[in-house]
Amino acid sequence: MTETDPQPQTDYSEDGVDLTLIRWMLSLTPAERLQFLQRQVNAILAIRKLNAGQ
Amino acid sequence: MPDNDFLSALRALREGGVEFAVVGGLAAVLNGAPVNTFDLDIVPARDEENVARLLRVLDTLDAVYRMQPSRRLKPDASHLRSSGHHNLITNCGPLDVLGTIGSRLGYEDLLPHTIQMEIGGEVRVRVLNLETLVALKEELAGEKDLAVLPILRRTLEQKRRGTD
Repeated sequence: MTETDPQPQTDYSEDGVDLTLIRWMLSLTPAERLQFLQRQVNAILAIRKLNAGQ
Repeated sequence: MPDNDFLSALRALREGGVEFAVVGGLAAVLNGAPVNTFDLDIVPARDEENVARLLRVLDTLDAVYRMQPSRRLKPDASHLRSSGHHNLITNCGPLDVLGTIGSRLGYEDLLPHTIQMEIGGEVRVRVLNLETLVALKEELAGEKDLAVLPILRRTLEQKRRGTD
């Protein structure tokens, strides 16, 4: 980044959104985004199942 | 409860020749927004032929209304030709078949606002674009919509910056 950079990159937006996460997601292909979501959702469901009844 | 398998559900719909657009949380993720979703939302074309194809695929996915899954109520053609929302559970996880979204926008209305995406395994689907997703969330303005709006807006901004 230089002093003349018109739009310096920040990590968080003014409303608190993690822009690093967005940039990382945008670096993936749609197929990779779907795979990531799939793994994440199934991991959460597995944890829920393990803790069912608590 | 079945595991979520978005790709298998979408592949089944494509292979069954169903015309539909992916909307909602999964559309947001496919567009690059870091959000989570547990269900697959689609808006299908509601002409007679497409509804017949959709019903065949829903049958192979063992789809029933998830409000009372023990009753195993299956959607029929008259349900799916309506503009209503059908919240189903399938052997690939929850699937919401939405006749219309927003201010009664059906498949044909949404079509110009979709993009074709390759989602793996040579499956290509139509996905609602981020601009329209943001506009719909702004219009709906429910608690859930407002919660996700900042992430969608910033994703859109970052996407635009990346393509400038």
